[in-house]
Amino acid sequence: MVTVLPDVETMITVLYFGLFAMSFDFISGYTGYLSFGHAAFYGTGAYFVILVANGKIPMLGTGTPFIYLLVLAGLVAAVLAVLIGAVSFRLSGVYFAMITLGFSQVLYVFVRDWDFVASNPRDGPAVLGRTEPFSIGVPGVDSLNLAIGQLAGDSVEGLLGFLSFGTTEVSYYMIGLVVLACYFAMQRIIHSPFGKVLVAIRENEERAEAVGYNTFWYKLGAFAVSAFFAAVAGGLFAGFQRSVSPESSFYFLVTGDALLASIIGGFGTLAGPLYGWLFDETVTEFLSKSGEGGGLLPYLRDHLGEATMTTELYNGLTIGQAIDTFLNGHAELYVGVIFVLFVLFIPNGLLGTVRDRLGGPVGKQVAARLRGDEK
Amino acid sequence: MTLLQVENAHTYYGESHILEGVSLEVEEGEVVALVGRNGVGKTTTLRTILQLTAPREGTVRYRGEDLTGRETHEVADMGVGWIPEERRIFTQLSVEENVRVAVPKDRDAREAIEQAFDTFPDLREFADRDAGTLSGGQQQMLALARGLVGENDLLLVDEPSEGLAPLIVERVAEALSNAAEDTTLLLVEQNLPLALDLADRFYVIDNGQVVDEGDADETAADDERLRRYLSA
Amino acid sequence: MMEIVLAGFIDALGQFLRPENLASVLVDGLAKAAIYVMIAGGLTLIFGLMGVLNFAHGSMTMIGAYLGGLLMVFAVGGASGGATRLLVFFLTLAVTFALLAGLGGVVEVGLIRRLYDRPPVYQILLTFGLTLILDELVRIAVLFYGMQPTSDWQAALGTKPWFLSESVDLGLISVSGLSLFEIVVGAATVAGLWAFLTRTRYGLVIRAGSEDAEMTEALGIDVRRVFTVVFALGAGVAGVAGTLLMWDPAWGASVPLAADTLLPAFVVVIIGGLGTFRGTVVAAVIVGMADSVTTWWFVNEIDFASLPEMTIFLILVAMLILRPQGIFGVEEVGGH
Repeated sequence: MVTVLPDVETMITVLYFGLFAMSFDFISGYTGYLSFGHAAFYGTGAYFVILVANGKIPMLGTGTPFIYLLVLAGLVAAVLAVLIGAVSFRLSGVYFAMITLGFSQVLYVFVRDWDFVASNPRDGPAVLGRTEPFSIGVPGVDSLNLAIGQLAGDSVEGLLGFLSFGTTEVSYYMIGLVVLACYFAMQRIIHSPFGKVLVAIRENEERAEAVGYNTFWYKLGAFAVSAFFAAVAGGLFAGFQRSVSPESSFYFLVTGDALLASIIGGFGTLAGPLYGWLFDETVTEFLSKSGEGGGLLPYLRDHLGEATMTTELYNGLTIGQAIDTFLNGHAELYVGVIFVLFVLFIPNGLLGTVRDRLGGPVGKQVAARLRGDEK
Repeated sequence: MTLLQVENAHTYYGESHILEGVSLEVEEGEVVALVGRNGVGKTTTLRTILQLTAPREGTVRYRGEDLTGRETHEVADMGVGWIPEERRIFTQLSVEENVRVAVPKDRDAREAIEQAFDTFPDLREFADRDAGTLSGGQQQMLALARGLVGENDLLLVDEPSEGLAPLIVERVAEALSNAAEDTTLLLVEQNLPLALDLADRFYVIDNGQVVDEGDADETAADDERLRRYLSA
Repeated sequence: MMEIVLAGFIDALGQFLRPENLASVLVDGLAKAAIYVMIAGGLTLIFGLMGVLNFAHGSMTMIGAYLGGLLMVFAVGGASGGATRLLVFFLTLAVTFALLAGLGGVVEVGLIRRLYDRPPVYQILLTFGLTLILDELVRIAVLFYGMQPTSDWQAALGTKPWFLSESVDLGLISVSGLSLFEIVVGAATVAGLWAFLTRTRYGLVIRAGSEDAEMTEALGIDVRRVFTVVFALGAGVAGVAGTLLMWDPAWGASVPLAADTLLPAFVVVIIGGLGTFRGTVVAAVIVGMADSVTTWWFVNEIDFASLPEMTIFLILVAMLILRPQGIFGVEEVGGH
């Protein structure tokens, strides 16, 4: 059967990577400064968590509660963002994108060969020194914590007498909790007077300056905030996967993925990137080789029958082989086509377009309609 | 005959309405000045004629042909030249290259350049220098030369005296009146005595509309009609 | 401990400064510079005129490498002599140039043209999306035809004439034939583009349009058409660069070549000053030299494999901090 949503494991990726994409959108979509090196902060968060877990960071024990690690990782990334931003925000446009890209690539290349982080830095570090699982909850209160991870995580049985969750499901809900909290925090900031200034900078920076705002500090502040949440996302990634590689964290194409999610979901709509990434993952899984979440290939195999699958299309190429060649595992291609179509025709993205139609944030509008309010 | 006819042109920059129905006519061989305060739409009128900022409403006719909606390079090809505000010479090209790039494809470049240098002997001296190193007056001469080698029948000249020393202004004025012998000029000029001196007729523009017009020879620079629209 | 490190360093410095070592670092640097100028040259032309930072440029280089490799593999038999192979190679360069220029023209007319009225970020986004599509299409084609069973494409590498794999004795040092060949092709490309830009009417129009497109248009020149030509030209140069890289074992035809060439190309273009061809040439030499010097130090003294790559990105960052408009960039021109 064809399911609408990807399986739970993929949904976990959607959550933490969606959070990273949101943090990217927080700076790029709201201020208009394209942070093309945002992966640096995601990577910082991911590496920080694993380095602490392996006892490589002085003064922090391997068993430091995960929640503390996430906050600390965020703070480290925020400091890094202030350092990078202090020199980068003197530039704008393409130059800003390039200098942030430059910084992140310096870090990527450095981490890739730094044997302090792992015995084989090219493959990246894995959690080795920590016996405690990464738990999300109130630190110090065992009963209010649940561990994440596919093998190391907790499972819950008989909650309220009838609910049972496996480790993956527990991870999903606990990571979801953190992502939700981060979303609300960013949401608060966007709707605060501070956030209004950010949008003013995007619309017309000169005017914002003329009105008396020191836009430099606002941009720097927003950069630090977005780096903080990017690192939290990276920390969740590391906590769940328990190993990371330079390519999956610091590399510039990781930023590219966030950009993809932001555009498809809606640039400058905080929740949009999460939906954008959900969309991306759904397409990817739909076209994946194994099709574990109920992808296209098993569906076609079930419904078309062997005779159709072996029908020759052209020069010995059967339908089955054609699907294998052009669809399976090549989601990038279709995601790319969709991305380009979005850039060309739906520049506001999924959520942005829905909002334009409804005339405001979806939640508010739907709620208003349900209440029967007249505009 | 009427060379240029602008009728009820409405032009916008984004959402701001700049020209609110400009109408004017230029006869072949005339020199016509557009005067008015800063920011009332004089430069925009020239840009509208060139279709650099096409009008949303109204028409621009050149030799009876409607220009609206055409590409700027087509308008230029029909014989409309532009000597823009702040001159906009190509600073990274040599003086000679600045002239050369303005020569139409079907014209012999060497001959055209020679002719330009004959008209502006100063430029010949600096032919190989980067145009960005020229003084303001020399740059203005170069911009004029660039407008003239295009063999244009109508030259749109924007603020030719702006930022130049009085002595240089005189030479620019002389060059313009020489140019006027062969071509038609539509001139935007803040320096009112200079404008009236060069022009046969003038239009006064205010708030995106033509509010007055007259014969330049019969009007003095301190005429009450003009002062109303020009003093701040 | 400190003394030992210091002594080792001084010893290595002495080694480095020996004439034969300096000379080979120099030649190596020039060979790298030749490659950098070729992967960045098209990018800088496109940016200079159109203000479009073409993220798909690396993909075009990569496609050039595959097309060049395919053409060579088809045309060259095992028995072909060195001179024949060289001749076929130059024909291949011409064909890949034409094919990639065609692709570039189609991309400009079909896609990029729609976005000139939008903020420049959209051009970055569009060309970024394009890389996803192009890279995946190539991946599909390579898989489908089983062209490249291992990560090195042996068939394409095997079309290299024998003398490019040999070392050439230059008295003091011996250098690889390939390095010399790369220097020659790079220099010829620079000379060709330079002549085109400064000696032809079209080159003049491109330079004028790069500085002030609107003014150029008002002189009766169809700048939109020039955009198409320049985008095609830039893509064609990328294709030529790719074909050259196809023979270099340090690069080689592979899908990741797209990203591997895109980033250094950005670095070179920005260091030189976005959109100035002269700056790009100088920057390519600087980056090539920095690359070869740090490569020598990595091989001989400093055990850090990413030293050259890191140095290149550090130069980028330092340049953007100290002089964002680049070596030859003009502040206002760079402010696209």
